[in-house]
Amino acid sequence: MKNYFGIWSILTAALIVIALLSCLDRISVFGMELKPAPIAEKLTRIPEAPENNPIALADEKLKPTKPVNDTVALDTASQSILIIGDSMLEGLNPRLAAYAKENGHRLNSVIWYSSTTEYWGKSDTLKVFLRKFKPTFIFISLGANELFVRNIEQDRDRYVKSLLKQIGDIPYVWIGPPNWKKDTGINRLIAANVPAGCFFLSDGMKFDRQKDGAHPTHESAAKWIDSVARWMPRHGAHPIKMKKPEARSGRPQSVTVLQPLH
Amino acid sequence: MDFQTILNNFCEMLRYEADNPMIFSSGLFWTLFVIFIPVYALLKKRMWQMIAFVAAFSLYFYYKSSGLFFFLLIGTSLIDWLLSRLIVSVRSGGLKKLCVWASVVNSLGILGYFKYANFFLWNWNAMVEGNFQPLDIILPVGISFYTFQSISYIVDVYKGRVAPTQTWLEYLFFLSFFPALVAGPIVRADYFIPQIRENRSATTQETYIGLWLIITGVIKKAIIADYIAQYNDLIFQTPTGYSGFESLMGVIGYTMQIYCDFSGYSDMAIGIAMIMGFTLMKNFDFPYKSKNLTEFWRRWHISLSTWLRDYVYIPLGGNRKGTFRTYLNNFLTMLIGGLWHGAAWKFVFWGAMHGAGLAVHKACRPWLDRLPDRYWIKALAWTLTMIYVSLLWVFFRADSWTDSWLIIQNIFTNFSLDYIVPFIKARYVWLVMMTFIIAVHAIPQRWHDRMLDLFVKAPWPVKLFGFIVVVQLVIEFMSENVAPFIYFQF
Repeated sequence: MKNYFGIWSILTAALIVIALLSCLDRISVFGMELKPAPIAEKLTRIPEAPENNPIALADEKLKPTKPVNDTVALDTASQSILIIGDSMLEGLNPRLAAYAKENGHRLNSVIWYSSTTEYWGKSDTLKVFLRKFKPTFIFISLGANELFVRNIEQDRDRYVKSLLKQIGDIPYVWIGPPNWKKDTGINRLIAANVPAGCFFLSDGMKFDRQKDGAHPTHESAAKWIDSVARWMPRHGAHPIKMKKPEARSGRPQSVTVLQPLH
Repeated sequence: MDFQTILNNFCEMLRYEADNPMIFSSGLFWTLFVIFIPVYALLKKRMWQMIAFVAAFSLYFYYKSSGLFFFLLIGTSLIDWLLSRLIVSVRSGGLKKLCVWASVVNSLGILGYFKYANFFLWNWNAMVEGNFQPLDIILPVGISFYTFQSISYIVDVYKGRVAPTQTWLEYLFFLSFFPALVAGPIVRADYFIPQIRENRSATTQETYIGLWLIITGVIKKAIIADYIAQYNDLIFQTPTGYSGFESLMGVIGYTMQIYCDFSGYSDMAIGIAMIMGFTLMKNFDFPYKSKNLTEFWRRWHISLSTWLRDYVYIPLGGNRKGTFRTYLNNFLTMLIGGLWHGAAWKFVFWGAMHGAGLAVHKACRPWLDRLPDRYWIKALAWTLTMIYVSLLWVFFRADSWTDSWLIIQNIFTNFSLDYIVPFIKARYVWLVMMTFIIAVHAIPQRWHDRMLDLFVKAPWPVKLFGFIVVVQLVIEFMSENVAPFIYFQF
């Protein structure tokens, strides 16, 4: 029995320490916030009420966040599309590239890993790429790294505004983050800042996730883009040609990768 | 956060979830193991209570991975045990043989139905252009492993290498022993059953060696393999979406991933068994150090390759029936080994190519043995072995033949060194992990022994700290994403 005490006490003490680290407020070590153990999230999860059940990805009932008053004519011109955002672009890029090819658009992509509205709003990175690619249409996919930021609506509002200011008059669609848990306000913040027909709310959609539990699988991300493409002519402020392509995936003209700041 | 919610969620987690089997690196297993250890230690001196407790825990472990299929495990163990008792109680040699065949046919029949029925139906359909619907079959987790264990038991009892267990419970303990139940190492009856009877307690030192093995296994499986898999998966999911250089990195990445994944899990299994006082067979011995295919199979998945040697290759005649039959037996054994890995032609091809490679190596051996013992010759031999092994992993991993060929074609026709710098910039964490595991392979065995020794002798708080750091790293990397999808154009 005593032979087992050492190993048992290590496993038990470590379990208690990890449980405490997961339950307490986020702790930083050398500037890095420690993530909570997934089991802690599972244990403390409050069961969802039936009305909060997510809608299916292929559901036709894609809702506008703010209604566009007038029927907007389809812009049939070939576009120079720029998609910017965080790691969610890994999944979005191939399918969007297939759409671009099918519809005669050019697609350039800038992935800034782990980026947030703060990254983009604080820096002039976007301006650099606007000068470089001269896009006529922009997709933004940001917010996934800010789902659980506290006081987000106070702290990040200026960055969202700054980012949108950099975009100026260029038509855009902000593809909202694919929530895997209820967010602390990022979707509300984006919706409050963008004009009607410019925000595709992904929260509430059902995704098949990768092993990390956050990123949609490639299959699911492709359906995500399909949903955006179906949403744009109905609810978008500036719909462009988005005929569904035969090809499952494609390659953007260029992909620029920016590393996380930390 | 109220206690009732936590309790409800915990009870919910204890239920079977088809897409969420219990693995050693999960928080749930850890929690249950913390409860398991003191009970096990208390019952250790009372052998039958200990056996019943571990068998019950193993069955729960299997239920958590395969649901109600644990009844299948119970049924298989009962049939095997009854037949093994019959083997020793009857005098007629013919009847003994019949019992062996009955058990083997039963075990392989169950495996065949669950694992290969749809494969054969699909091929039959293709041949006769029929219109059969695939059967709605769920493969019970670990069935390939425990089927081989059951065959080894019945054959060993028949051959007199091991006495049959006195009770069914003891046999159930052997067949369902949870550390090795779902992913090996394949436990051999003649090696393991005497350990049950010995009922030895682990020494304090052994429990720490076990902890070290768990830690190294967790690092390999839950940190390195799971992280580098994200990039490798991208390459294999979109074979034409990447440059030749990126595809090559994906292939090398998968070569290391499958090693880390499998050997990491084996390390954890061996470590947990060691904490319980049982010694399981070493399953991996730095296979990528091998300088030829024969050596590779002596170092890779050792419990499977020795099982195949003893229960397939030798019964087929081994090397006793002439040169041609030796090569053929080698080839057939590897073909079966390939099919054991999965019900698809790609696995058959993978096994066949390894079999062919082994036969070629055996045929060339007289000539190879005459080569001088020079460094560059060893380097060349290692390089050729690694290229062969890595290329065959492509067929093992890719979803289809077309994808396999596309990836290989991409490496040779779309290769540019211009991708090196951007690749390093974009995927430095992936590269760090790859470098780490290659370095671990390269360092001498005595360094590994020294590290183990240091860990075992380290004070309790150091061990605790090391364990916590590793667990937190697992948590950090679990939700980290590898930088994928760079179609850099210059």
